[in-house]
Amino acid sequence: MRELIDGSAAIVRGALDAGCDFFAGYPITPASPILMQLLRELPKVGGVAIQAEDEIASIGMCIGATLAGRRALTATSGPGLSLYSENIGLAIMGEVPLVIVDVQRLGPATGGATTVGQGDVQFVRWGTGGGYPVIALAPSNVQECYSLTRRAFDLAERFRCPVFLLTDKELDMTATTVEIERYERPPVRAREVLAGVARSAAGAADASVAIADPPPYRYEPADRVSPVAQYGGDTLVRFTGSTHDERALITKAPAKVAALNEHLRAKIEEHADEIELVESDLDAGARTLFVAYGVTAGALREAVDRLRHEGRAVSALIVKSLWPVPERALRTALLDVDRVVVAELNHGQYRREIERLAQGLEVRGVNRVDGELITPEELMEAAR
Amino acid sequence: MTTTANTTVPATKRDPKEFASPLKPIWCPGCGDYGVLQALYRALGSIGRPAHEIAFISGIGCSSRIPGYTTAYGFNSVHGRALPIAQGVKLANPDLLVIVAGGDGDGFSIGGGHVAHAIRRNLDLTYLVMDNQVYGLTKGQLSPTSPKGLETVTSPLGSLEEPINPLLYTLAYGAGFVAQGTPADMPGLTALIEEAIRYPGFAFVNIQSPCVTFGQEEQQIRAHKAHLRPLAKLGHDASDQLRALDVARSYGKVLHTGVLYRRPDPPPTYERLVRERQAALAPKAVDRLRLLDVFLQK
Repeated sequence: MRELIDGSAAIVRGALDAGCDFFAGYPITPASPILMQLLRELPKVGGVAIQAEDEIASIGMCIGATLAGRRALTATSGPGLSLYSENIGLAIMGEVPLVIVDVQRLGPATGGATTVGQGDVQFVRWGTGGGYPVIALAPSNVQECYSLTRRAFDLAERFRCPVFLLTDKELDMTATTVEIERYERPPVRAREVLAGVARSAAGAADASVAIADPPPYRYEPADRVSPVAQYGGDTLVRFTGSTHDERALITKAPAKVAALNEHLRAKIEEHADEIELVESDLDAGARTLFVAYGVTAGALREAVDRLRHEGRAVSALIVKSLWPVPERALRTALLDVDRVVVAELNHGQYRREIERLAQGLEVRGVNRVDGELITPEELMEAAR
Repeated sequence: MTTTANTTVPATKRDPKEFASPLKPIWCPGCGDYGVLQALYRALGSIGRPAHEIAFISGIGCSSRIPGYTTAYGFNSVHGRALPIAQGVKLANPDLLVIVAGGDGDGFSIGGGHVAHAIRRNLDLTYLVMDNQVYGLTKGQLSPTSPKGLETVTSPLGSLEEPINPLLYTLAYGAGFVAQGTPADMPGLTALIEEAIRYPGFAFVNIQSPCVTFGQEEQQIRAHKAHLRPLAKLGHDASDQLRALDVARSYGKVLHTGVLYRRPDPPPTYERLVRERQAALAPKAVDRLRLLDVFLQK
């Protein structure tokens, strides 16, 4: 059975299926269809969706809602992501599970509101002060807009951090025929909530004792992720954007600050293999490896088919977990090739990551920043 | 307990000490915010809801430290963004009593854009602004409520800008409850905070809370005590929005204290409308696990 569907609708379904029950967003092309659909659908399932006054408020509301127990989503494009920046840092620091869809369009600035781009790849990684790791997934077709949205919600809970779903204008707004059987439904874990001190209904005469008991954060071992203490839950928890100890109390004590910041790094970077998601199509005799992600992967799949039909050996790696960089899969794919071609709709942002791993190999890019897609022919040409 | 408005709180009072956290404030000795904190403890004691039913959200600044000095769920967030975060909390869990606090810079400079929208959305929030007409935490810069001509480290030759009038601003955007207090009148301030919490909708209290380190002489507690003008004694009718606007015009010139405006017919709060809509749609709701299938059958 088939249907005609675009990426926006697939993301909305993925979010609803993942148990998303809060959405706040601000209109922006090409992310508005997600906002419009969730404003219609979420109230039907007891959820809340709201059009905020700007992007700063959108993500702020999502952070607040998550602290009070909701599973929140927001969606924007490059200019809006710029306004999310400070609150992304807040979500990282407060360890707030949150899914952020960035439907990329051509930048910089207003750029091409209705034209495709993949220029936010490094922006999502480094888009807030401090340089702490985030997770970013990039669906390469409409089915994956559904399944990776579910995966994003799962990872947000697993790692208590903002997870980006990096799509683009073409993927989200172009209706495609999809075989319904091809939707994958990865599991989405429930939020692990901190069990606290039992509180009598009569009172909180001992409330000061119950503050942050048990502690809402744990930094030892550094990569361990604590259950979430929620507003309305057992532990009278505080959140803060300032450096804090395990009880979320503000501190500047160097040892405690170091433990916090090492935890924010280690919980993601030490688990990169758990997050890693690629589509690896390696040909034993190939000298050339193609790497692509997102909408550009579509052209790559076709180019690989056609090159092989012509009798040429070629390998392809489609990266679906952009951050952290899936180094294990990339190193494997790089083992037996002489040359790597990285195709992307920017000036070579992800190529930098490949070059880092492909020391001694020839690495070249196929890049477009004119609002058009890379074609299979351009990739086939690059293989010659 | 399920309540949709803070007016339906239990009558039992609680000991204000329940709301005092073990953390010691790091404000300067003599800071007006100590008085605000004490007034808040007392108001919460009168309201009677336990700490674990209260969420206290702030931005950044001296006054934004206040949630940490209470036993409520707290959030010392980012500069100017307390209102959106608080609205997210309230929408997610309308049963929580949500209080928002910050300074004049947080509320009327960097976060000023959010105030109008919080007012027009009308969630049941209590917004306490500790207005000291100066940036204290960052050491004495010009604030949006600093008087014109004020010399500060960022207006060394005197400010060329008119101040924001928080009372006129919130009234003009249609806030249903607008009041002004000062820790120079503790019983009055306590009553105002309690009344603001009880108002079923967005309630704003501008608290003239002196900065002892960077504030001007005429903004200190001693001056407040000498010059404050309680609206109750002036025969002000707090149900009259036009009268309230008239009183608000003298912000910065006369220190009026009390309720400027309390809407006599509070409209339903946003969260109540959301709940009603959810309830109306509930019979049509589908099992989440079947959502994909439902879409596909369309």
